[in-house]
Parts: sequence; structure tokens; C-alpha cells
Amino acid sequence: MRIIDKKDFIEFVNLLITKDARTVVGVKAKGDKFIYDELASADELRLDFDVTVLSPKKYFMPPTETLLEYDLSSDFKVMSVNEVTPLIIIGIHPYDLIALQQMETVFRDTYPDANHLLKLERSILIGTNMQNVSPHSFAASMGTATTRYGYDLMLTDIGDSYYVELGSDRGEELLERYARVSMPDESHKKRFEAVINGIVGKFQKKLNFPADELPAILAKTYDSDLWANKAEKCLSCGSCNLVCPTCYCFDVQDVTELNLRKGERIRTWDGCLLEDFAKVATGENFREDRASRYRHRFMRKGKFLHERFGFIACVGCGRCASGCLPDIADPVEVYNTLKEEVL
Amino acid sequence: MMRPGVKPRVAFFDFASCEGCQLQVVNLEESVIDLIDIVNVVSFREAMKEHSDDYDIAFVEGSIMRPMDEERLKNIRNRAKILVALGACACIGGINTLRNRYSVEHVKKVVYGDADMDGNPFFDVFHTKAVGDVVDVDYYVHGCPINRDELAKVVTSLALGKKPEIPNYPVCVECKKKGNVCIFERGGFCLGPVTRAGCGAICPTNGSGCEGCRGLVDNPNTDSELEVLEKYGLRLEDALGKFDIFCYRYKGEISK
Ligand code: SF4
Ligand code: SF4
Ligand code: SF4
Ligand code: SF4
Ligand code: SF4
Repeated sequence: MRIIDKKDFIEFVNLLITKDARTVVGVKAKGDKFIYDELASADELRLDFDVTVLSPKKYFMPPTETLLEYDLSSDFKVMSVNEVTPLIIIGIHPYDLIALQQMETVFRDTYPDANHLLKLERSILIGTNMQNVSPHSFAASMGTATTRYGYDLMLTDIGDSYYVELGSDRGEELLERYARVSMPDESHKKRFEAVINGIVGKFQKKLNFPADELPAILAKTYDSDLWANKAEKCLSCGSCNLVCPTCYCFDVQDVTELNLRKGERIRTWDGCLLEDFAKVATGENFREDRASRYRHRFMRKGKFLHERFGFIACVGCGRCASGCLPDIADPVEVYNTLKEEVL
Repeated sequence: MMRPGVKPRVAFFDFASCEGCQLQVVNLEESVIDLIDIVNVVSFREAMKEHSDDYDIAFVEGSIMRPMDEERLKNIRNRAKILVALGACACIGGINTLRNRYSVEHVKKVVYGDADMDGNPFFDVFHTKAVGDVVDVDYYVHGCPINRDELAKVVTSLALGKKPEIPNYPVCVECKKKGNVCIFERGGFCLGPVTRAGCGAICPTNGSGCEGCRGLVDNPNTDSELEVLEKYGLRLEDALGKFDIFCYRYKGEISK
């Protein structure tokens, strides 16, 4: 553990920006929302954010990414592409750190995905404990309001300074190289514990039952009327998928240049709420109606991925709830209603 | 499909339109060289004098307004192996359908006053039709105007003998990928949730709501979209009015 004074922290961030070879990104304001973006100076950093529009997933699984380039001209050539910009990301809330861990598990499974993993390996993740909580977030119910792992450094605002937890050697080295720090005394530790203990109470949204009951609840509610009732208003816009830090589905397309010689194979975010998501080459669509697509997302997050990987693939960030225009995507509302159905 | 190794012969045709979409083709700039390298453009009034009636692929821009247009379009359809509708006017009737809310007589009167047009086929107009209302359309390149990259994609697919990928998901998908703050959250209104993507969500990205120029997705939930527009402060009448500019033809089908 270390202590870094607030004015020294500003210096630390500015040194990272000017001296470190990696690109420094952090949370910035965009209108009255927050986004991750490259930092030009420490002044732009807003560690008091509640939630960002997109999660840091966008850096490790970019919305659109080239997987390979091909050349059709004389003899067919293919080159794999893995464009990596090593990053230092400042200001990741615990739920998003846990989401990144889940993503890593998924991308390591079966066939390790170099395009995802190399980006992750080359980057430094600096977490921050939540000062403000989005009205849609229910991370406390998912056990993701705080975390003991998944970061290189973890910052907690304790008033005049940040309490810094060290998560890795890389994190420690970064501090040694660029920051003026001291060791925490008893008063720092007390303040840190008070902040951490206060986080859970800041959440307005809560599950009415322990999250680990979810798989069992979903097993009994596959045929519930809730799915069709809610899905009636579904726009099939995929927003709930696209903003989710644990959604990892993608589509792969070959884009050939107009000269018909060169081209690239790209992958781009897809979402199971979209009409053509489960449509196959013959024209058959395995989830043709809105209700079955709508249900699928909740089943996957709360049951299917739990069966496969042992975790509930929802970290309670609330982004799906705030991004859904007809207000039907809120997992808290859906899961609490289902719980009542099986009581 | 095209025979491999043989350059498909391509012709462009225009009906009622501003020709903005053909201009987008001309504006492909250096890629135009690539375009004429992979296809043989045999007719393109916007860019060349020569004309030929022997073509494989017909790109048709503009809406169909008169019996004489229908005749000409059917001829084009008969000659072409593949017919591609180019731009909102051709794909969905576009801006031109705005006049469908008035009678043909009224429209003529407003535009031409008391001029005598009896028996003149040029002025023998009916309610605006999209190309697909008259003949079978193989592929659509949506938008007002069309997006050049998408056109390039369609041409490459056709030249490679592949089926072009035309998105059937709404603009929100591209908007979210861009990381935009939703227009609704900025006090505006947007047809993105029911409008076919492919433009890269260019309007929301630049701060204004989508007006629906690419037409609706295959199964738009317009009821829900209307509710959303109302929830964010539009009266039903004004919410419906959002569909006027480009999607007027769908309005009859929008319930409520
Ligand atoms: S965000 Fe809402 S409306 Fe859009 S696909 Fe998801 S549930 Fe449906
Ligand atoms: S399902 Fe919703 S609340 Fe859960 S992680 Fe995804 S976006 Fe966040
Ligand atoms: S679709 Fe728009 S740009 Fe294209 S011809 Fe019609 S009015 Fe012009
Ligand atoms: S701005 Fe429009 S297109 Fe973008 S997410 Fe909002 S409704 Fe969808
Ligand atoms: S955002 Fe909407 S109006 Fe704008 S170009 Fe795209 S489809 Fe057309």
C-alpha cells in the first residue's frame, strides 16, 4: 500500500503522459456523461465519474478490428494482423475490472485469442474505487462494488490523498518510476476502510436475493410470460449488448478493396438482441422473435455462462438499463420479478 | 451471378432525383479508377457521353413518377441481370414521397399553376413509387445520399460474385460502436432505433438525430419507437411527423 498526495498524483499522471512510451487514457467528461479517451493532461481526468458510456472493453475488443489482411493478386497471401497500442488506463471501477477478467477467461478458452490477450498483456490497468454510483448500477448485489484483484494499481480517494493498493509488480514499478509516494499510517488506513465500507450503501438498485441463486431461478423461468411481455417494446437495437462490458459476440466479415486485389478480414461487435444474430446461411433464424432474443441475453448472463465458466456474466454496471430507450433491459427489475415468480 | 474473369458491364440510370447519389459515385475520386478497372461502365450520363443498352448490372437512381418512367424502368429490368436501387429516392421513394399526402391535381396546380398539360406524357404523374414498387430489385444501396464506402462494398461483392451485405440492424448499433452519448439523452429525438444502419450513424455522431434516410429495418418496432419519442416529450402527432421526411411511405403502416 502507498499514499500519494493529490498534487503529486497530478504530477504522476502528467509524467505518465509526457514520459511513458505507452498511451495514457482515462475517464473524461463528455457533456454530462463520461468516456474513456486519451488524456492530454491530468486536468482532464475525472475520477469522480459514476459510469462511462462504454467500458474499457473497447480497448481490448475494439468495436471493429482487423484480424488479417489478404492479397488476391497473383499468389494468394494472408497476413495476420494484431494492432496493439500499449495503454495505461486510469480510472477503472471494480465492476469493469472484473468484467475484463471475465473477458480474459472467455478469450483464453478453447482457442486463445491473441488479438485480445496481447492488448491486455501490454496494458496497465489503474483502478479506482467508486466515489459516485450510477442510479442504474447494482454492482453491490453482484459482489463487484469492490475488488481485490484485476488491477495493477487501485486508487481510493481518502480526502487529501489517494490510498494506492498494489496489484502487480508492473504497478509498483510504475509508481517507483514516476510518483512521489509515502507509506500509509494508521489514519490513512482508517480513512481507507471507512471509504470502502461506505461504498455498498451508495447503491439505489439491488437484487432482492443473493446473486448466486440466479442460475436456479432462470432454470425455472425459461417459459415465463415475462419475456414476451417485456419484449413487446424491444426495438431489437442491440444497445443493451453493445454497451455491456461482458458481451463478447462478434461478426466476421471480409472487406475486399474496390481494386479486388487487397482486402481485410475484420471482426465487429454483434449482439444477440439483433434480428439477424442467429440467422444462418440457409436463411433459417434460430431466434426469430423478439421475445426469444430478449430472453437469451438474461439466460446467458445469469445461467449459461455460469454453467460454462462458473461466474455470472453480469457485473451490475447498469449500462444496459440506462441505454435501453423503452426501459425494459434493467436486469434488477427482470431478475427480481423472476425471483417472485419462483418463490 | 457474374462470370469470373469477365468484367461485368454496368449502367447507371436516373429517374426523379437530385442526382446526388450518382454524384457520390463520381466522387469516389481515385477509387473511380479501380471501379472502372473491375467493371465496364457502359452508360453513365452524369460522367460520360457514350451509352449502350447492353449491360449486366443496372444501378437505378430516383423515384418513379409517371407511366413513361414505369415503361423505361421495366425495359431496364428486362435487359439487366442484376438491378440495384441507388439511394433513398429509388429504394424507398425518399423525399419525393412527401407529395403523396396531396392529390396529384393539387400538386400540379401548386407547381405549374393553370398551364395546360393535358395529353403531355411528361406531366402525366401519379403518386411517387419506389423502384421496387414497379420491378424486382436485387440489391439496395440506401441513403440520401448513398454512402460511397457502402457502394464500393456492393460493387466489389457483385464483381466477386458474392451477395452484398446490407445491414438489417438499426443505426443505434453503429452509434453505440462510436461511443456516442445518445441524442435522446441530450434532449433530442432520433429515428435511429428503427432505421437501417450502414451510414456509420453519421447524424447522431455529429449531434443531430437520425431522420431515417436509409429507410426502416425489415421489422421495425415503430410502436415502441413512437412511445419512446412520446416519453421524451413529443406529442404523438409530432412523433409521427418524424417519419415524414424520408419514411412517409411507411406512415400508413405505422399503427396507433
Ligand atoms: S436496448 Fe432495450 S430495446 Fe434495445 S435491444 Fe436491448 S432490450 Fe431491446
Ligand atoms: S448485463 Fe447490463 S448491468 Fe450487467 S454487465 Fe452487462 S450492461 Fe452491465
Ligand atoms: S436519394 Fe437523396 S441524394 Fe440520392 S438522388 Fe435522391 S434526393 Fe438526391
Ligand atoms: S442517438 Fe439515435 S442512433 Fe444513437 S443510440 Fe440514440 S437513438 Fe440510437
Ligand atoms: S443517421 Fe439516419 S438520417 Fe443520418 S445518414 Fe444515417 S440513416 Fe440517414
